[in-house]
Amino acid sequence: MTGGRSPEPTPAGNDASVTSLCVFAVCAVAPGDQPIAGTEALGHAESGPLTLLPLDAEMAALVQEVPAERFTEEALREHLADPAALEAYARAHHAVVTAASAAGPVVPLPLATLFADHDRAREVLSENLPRFREALDRVRGRAEWAVKVHLRRDDPPPDQAASDRGASAAGTPSAAGAGRAYLSRVRGREKDRISRRDAATAAAQRVHEAANTVAAGSVRLRPHGQEITGKDRLQVMNAAYLVDEARSAELSTVLAALRTDLAGSAIEIDVSGPWVPYSFTAGEES
Amino acid sequence: MTQLDYAGSVPASYPSGPTTANLADILERVLDKGIVIAGDIKIDLLDIELLTIRLRLFVSSVETAKRAGIDWWETDPALSSRAAESALAEENRQLRDRLAALEGGEPSGSDDGGRRSPKARSGTGGRRRRDGDGEGS
Repeated sequence: MTGGRSPEPTPAGNDASVTSLCVFAVCAVAPGDQPIAGTEALGHAESGPLTLLPLDAEMAALVQEVPAERFTEEALREHLADPAALEAYARAHHAVVTAASAAGPVVPLPLATLFADHDRAREVLSENLPRFREALDRVRGRAEWAVKVHLRRDDPPPDQAASDRGASAAGTPSAAGAGRAYLSRVRGREKDRISRRDAATAAAQRVHEAANTVAAGSVRLRPHGQEITGKDRLQVMNAAYLVDEARSAELSTVLAALRTDLAGSAIEIDVSGPWVPYSFTAGEES
Repeated sequence: MTQLDYAGSVPASYPSGPTTANLADILERVLDKGIVIAGDIKIDLLDIELLTIRLRLFVSSVETAKRAGIDWWETDPALSSRAAESALAEENRQLRDRLAALEGGEPSGSDDGGRRSPKARSGTGGRRRRDGDGEGS
């Protein structure tokens, strides 16, 4: 730990306003590094510049002075409950974390991690140096890839719809016959439902196993709802994989092969990345 | 989000992050992930109002999934408000039963729209509760 004096610059002309300190991430730094070069335009609105708060010889926190009155518990609770404001905060946070990662490994902190000032931030963050170091080591040279599996909601096959109609219209007027037809339709639907479920589960499992052969770690996230996937798709798997930079081409190869295999089925595989390894910093991942 | 095209080459630099990242992808990362450090300003990101937004983003998959027959995650109470409701209903039922048992096996008179236990329970004979009974039964 470098117990030196606070290096924080005071934003010029801002001395009258009260600020809090927002911490975005902890970065690995080497002497002379400028991990946030070119990020002047980033960060939360109406706030100071992004700066580095040294924690020890190898790590620094990426911080920004923000207007205290906009970052009280009350104000934040209100803002974060508003979808538009929540999005602005989230995207600002994400942009900073992502920009910082261009220079080296980064361990993000959750949105709105706030301290009264630089001294408080350094005091608390310094208590967690081993965790940060461990996480930085884990994600160094690696990226997170998001892999999602969707089941396309196709219309029922026309032949089945026709046979349903046939059973009731052309079919049997007797009550017993109608009952049998009904039961058979119910059984048919149940069978379809089960086979669809089994197929989707099996496909998701195949995707996971394939991705996992390349990955250094994996995390299952909660599947997204219809507002995100659209009405015609059901998300059956939402996962993240921690992949060595040198192996990301392999990931794309195994998933491309699976896509070819599953072509013609109702299964779709989506990939996005590289992400900063958000999902692999806490140390609970498999 | 549409399928991301794999360029033949892999970015040489450290991840820069998808530029047109899906908001849900970002939210589930900046809210749920990262190393949690207790700051001076305590914001519970699982706060109720915030949670409602997040539930709108995520939980609808439970209903649609059930319709499609895919329901392996519905047992997660955090995901399924219905599961939470049924758990609550079950807890309430058990509490009512215990209460009934404590009160001598007899429903307390005025409420209890449902099942009344048989009046003639062993031993109580003709003894009636002092209050809340009377003309109602």
